[in-house]
Amino acid sequence: MKFKKLKLFILTIITAIFISSAAFAETLKIGSMGPLTGPYAADGNDIANGVRTAIAVIEDEGGIEGFDKIELFTEDTACDPRQAVAAANKLINNKAIGVIGAYCSSATIPASEVLAEEDVIMITPASTNEKVTERGLKYMFRMCGRDDDQSKAAVKFLTYKKVKTIFIIDDKTTYSQGLAEKVAQGCEAVGIKVILHDHVNQGDKDFSAVLTKVKTKKPDALYMSLQNSATGSLMAIQAKRNGIEAIMLAQDAVYHPQFIEIGKDATEGVYLTFGFMDAETEAYKKFIAKFKVITGTDKPGSYSAYAYDSAITLLKAIKETGGTDPAKIKEAMLKMNYKGASKDISFKENGDSGSSYIIFKVENKAFKNYWDPETGKLFSETK
Amino acid sequence: MEYFIQQLINGLTLGGIYALIALGYTMVYGIIQLINFAHGEFFAAGGYMGVILLSFLSANGYLATYPWLCLSGAIILSMAYCSLLATGVEKIAYKPLRKSSRLSVLLSALGMSIFIQNGLMLTQGVYDKAYPTIFSQGGFDFGNIKVSYMQIVMLLITILLLILLNLLVFKTRIGKAMRATAQDKTMSSLVGIKSDRIISLTFIIGASLAAAAGIMVGMYYGSVGYTMGFVPGIKAFAAAVLGGIGNITGAMIGGFLIGMIEIFGAGYISSEYKDVFAFIILIGVLYFMPTGIMGENIDDTRV
Amino acid sequence: MIQEFKSKGKKYLIGLVWLFLLLWPLLGINADGTLTFVKAFSVWLYIVCASMIVVTIYIIHKKGLTLKLTKPLSSARNKIYAYTASMPKPLLFSIIGIIAFLFPFFTERYAQDVAINVLIYICLGLGLNIVVGMAGLLDLGYIAFYGVGAYTYALLNTFYGISFWLSLPIAAGFSGIAGCIVGYPTLRMRGDYLAIVTLGFGEIIRIVFNNWMQLTNGPNGILGIKPPSVIIPNFTNGFSLEYLYLKKLHYLYYVALILAIFTIIVVARLSASRIGRAWEAIREDETAAEMMGVNTFSLKLLAYAAGAVLGGIAGSFFAARMRFVSPESFTFIESAMVLSMVVLGGMGSIPGIILGVIALIALPEVFREFELYRMLAFGASMTLMMLFRPKGIIPSKRMGVRSEEKEE
Repeated sequence: MKFKKLKLFILTIITAIFISSAAFAETLKIGSMGPLTGPYAADGNDIANGVRTAIAVIEDEGGIEGFDKIELFTEDTACDPRQAVAAANKLINNKAIGVIGAYCSSATIPASEVLAEEDVIMITPASTNEKVTERGLKYMFRMCGRDDDQSKAAVKFLTYKKVKTIFIIDDKTTYSQGLAEKVAQGCEAVGIKVILHDHVNQGDKDFSAVLTKVKTKKPDALYMSLQNSATGSLMAIQAKRNGIEAIMLAQDAVYHPQFIEIGKDATEGVYLTFGFMDAETEAYKKFIAKFKVITGTDKPGSYSAYAYDSAITLLKAIKETGGTDPAKIKEAMLKMNYKGASKDISFKENGDSGSSYIIFKVENKAFKNYWDPETGKLFSETK
Repeated sequence: MEYFIQQLINGLTLGGIYALIALGYTMVYGIIQLINFAHGEFFAAGGYMGVILLSFLSANGYLATYPWLCLSGAIILSMAYCSLLATGVEKIAYKPLRKSSRLSVLLSALGMSIFIQNGLMLTQGVYDKAYPTIFSQGGFDFGNIKVSYMQIVMLLITILLLILLNLLVFKTRIGKAMRATAQDKTMSSLVGIKSDRIISLTFIIGASLAAAAGIMVGMYYGSVGYTMGFVPGIKAFAAAVLGGIGNITGAMIGGFLIGMIEIFGAGYISSEYKDVFAFIILIGVLYFMPTGIMGENIDDTRV
Repeated sequence: MIQEFKSKGKKYLIGLVWLFLLLWPLLGINADGTLTFVKAFSVWLYIVCASMIVVTIYIIHKKGLTLKLTKPLSSARNKIYAYTASMPKPLLFSIIGIIAFLFPFFTERYAQDVAINVLIYICLGLGLNIVVGMAGLLDLGYIAFYGVGAYTYALLNTFYGISFWLSLPIAAGFSGIAGCIVGYPTLRMRGDYLAIVTLGFGEIIRIVFNNWMQLTNGPNGILGIKPPSVIIPNFTNGFSLEYLYLKKLHYLYYVALILAIFTIIVVARLSASRIGRAWEAIREDETAAEMMGVNTFSLKLLAYAAGAVLGGIAGSFFAARMRFVSPESFTFIESAMVLSMVVLGGMGSIPGIILGVIALIALPEVFREFELYRMLAFGASMTLMMLFRPKGIIPSKRMGVRSEEKEE
């Protein structure tokens, strides 16, 4: 008897909180999801900060007509499907119109199914797995690129570097393994020999065993597909220490200021695939200026700019339609074509926004544009 | 052969870390039969204290001029810090529960572990922290085999600490009191040993060993993160059990064994299943030697 | 009252100084080579103020000054206790049943979602209770069976299209077999050796899920699992039967409710049976139980299998509800959570465990408002609950006192 009562009591309190927060009808509510606790908390924070920046920018520009203010709900998914579903349900309860998130593909996919039931728009700034947009969900959008495009860019670069043999390591997450497999397939198609496709576990710090293996096999290139930039630094440090001389190529999740900060000298000369971002554009400068005001640093994480663009796009679409009807917002989003902070934004019918992967190289402790797979030329040549 | 030796060196380095953490588990277990889940967090706190102190020193320029002095100072200070932390945790979360069922203490330990982990996250941020460079990343080359300076420093510190611990436990009065308390708390308190003080001391020693391991891990791998305590904590627990929980020599052997199994499993068979090998060997050993390699006296009434 | 402060004061002051010593290095030593005191001091001051209030209330309470307030409350509570105790059991159960049945009608999605989680974990907690609470075998890898159940349904459904209800017994069977496999080698071990071996098995099963690409699709998980379905008659074109997939949250809630009620009945019947009493005999003293003619070998194995079966059922439902499974849901920390629910609620007591589940599932959700401080508060409250109720919220009535606990 009493336990049932307690449960009811707790749940009524929870619902009471929501109801009371839903009382102000003229606030526009959007949500953001990402891992705020657990091993990928850093990336979840980047996303939340990007969204916060976007809201601040829009509010500076006079906000959105018909709404007093924009309220943001940041929910924690912890990269766990169960918590992601709970977070999605909570956002639905909070009457969020659109959601920016989530980070891990394994959290985005189940959360998007829940959000789709209530026609909530979801824009993922970071989940690159193809399945995210290939399930025919009506209101699923993606701001970042796709794994298959990224792997193509990587393979092109490897052929450009005249690589004959490659050793691939991934850390067994939906995202990193999927990408590594695509790279392996692509390499074999163009005649690069994959010596071994090996895996490490999430949370590992010691890669000495697998790197010793790399050293004895002497590949021309080492491809690192890792979920987390800190793991990337660990691997780079240990590879240098082991005396591995292969070309090291990593991917977008490793692209983070933290990678260089932790890896220091060991990261010099590492190549990375990441979406082309023009730091000279107006939009990017605007983003960085506000980002610094909000977070106190002008070095945003890899997905902050994507999260920022996602939120800006969503808010702009709401502004255009002047209401909260998801179908109209979708229409407005599909029509959109403008220069965002991260890239030129225009969505395809399935929700993808295209990829613009280029090769970066770490030089003098900074990421430098290095090679463009579209033109097949070095950036230093084109300038 | 070169490959084998290189992997052996890798295994020794990793095993040393596990051994240091496992010692804390085993000592606490030996004395109050508690699986101290918060132990991995002491290891993380030690690593964080190391990065805080060393980057402070390096920003003031002391680190470049007196590297050894700074390093030993940082190790000692963070050992002290973790001792402080461990005493507090013991007094707050374990001592009041000494007379209740062992599962409640286990849960209390789990709660503390979550608390400390998130406390570290809130004060230090979610991003990994980079250690300042003290020693060059170079090392000795023997043909194709590379031994980095860090590996040598780590092995030396580990061995030094293990010898000190053995001296403490087997040659001093305090050690004798600890062993007596571990054997029979009631009896030892009858002969005038203050068991509460001895238990606190055990926690302090275990935590400071974990702190030392934390700093070394941070320096060797270059960074620390707030979740770093969890996985090594479980592996070290496995190591402690493998050696025979409650047995100090066993924990050292277990630690090195688990490190070796992991590295050789990854190096020769498959790196994705390396943890499986470690656990299968653990289960196999326990099946044939139910009290671990070095054995332990267990009587039927426990659990 | 001042006397009280004096007697507690010294310990309290030492505690505060200790706390400051712990806090300051974390907040005050900066990487840019400067030292600050303000930040650590202000955080510390907040904690001092909060703890002061708590201590004052505690001392006032000790002095009996709050008696005026608490007396009517506790008498009212006792009245409710007495009233519910005097109520006939069927009436009590039907009231609870009606409340549970009506629950989705006056709640929103989020509350229903949390309620479904609570129901799943009730199945899990009661399943683990058989192993830990009744038979006294510490199991740190229980979540593996949940995973086996989930993957069994996911695979059967995506490869062969077998429906949820049909695959439920199959999943239960597979989990039971897995339980026997795990149970067999552990039968020789006692105490904490058992803990690490079960933990090891749990991790092995998870790693296999994560690496066996051909079967489980590795870390990508399995997508496109069908939710449970019911057959409903369709009268539009004559008479035909068709499947209705229970996608909506409140339908799923009822399925979960049915499973939870089933689990509660099974566990209640088991604990009242010969087998249940034999398990308790093993828990209290294995050697003595064996002397009395209890077949400890097969009964311990049975405990593992029974616990695993219940875990497997919960797992199947989990897969059907999420329509997605991936190995990340079956990590060690989940096992630890389920174990916490059992211990927190009170080992061996069914209402206790249900309360424990509610506490541990609802707490992190309540703490969602704290955002980043969520898990910090959760960890602290877990320790606190253990400190104040070491035997659990509702301790089991049939729990014996151990010899070693009496000693001191």
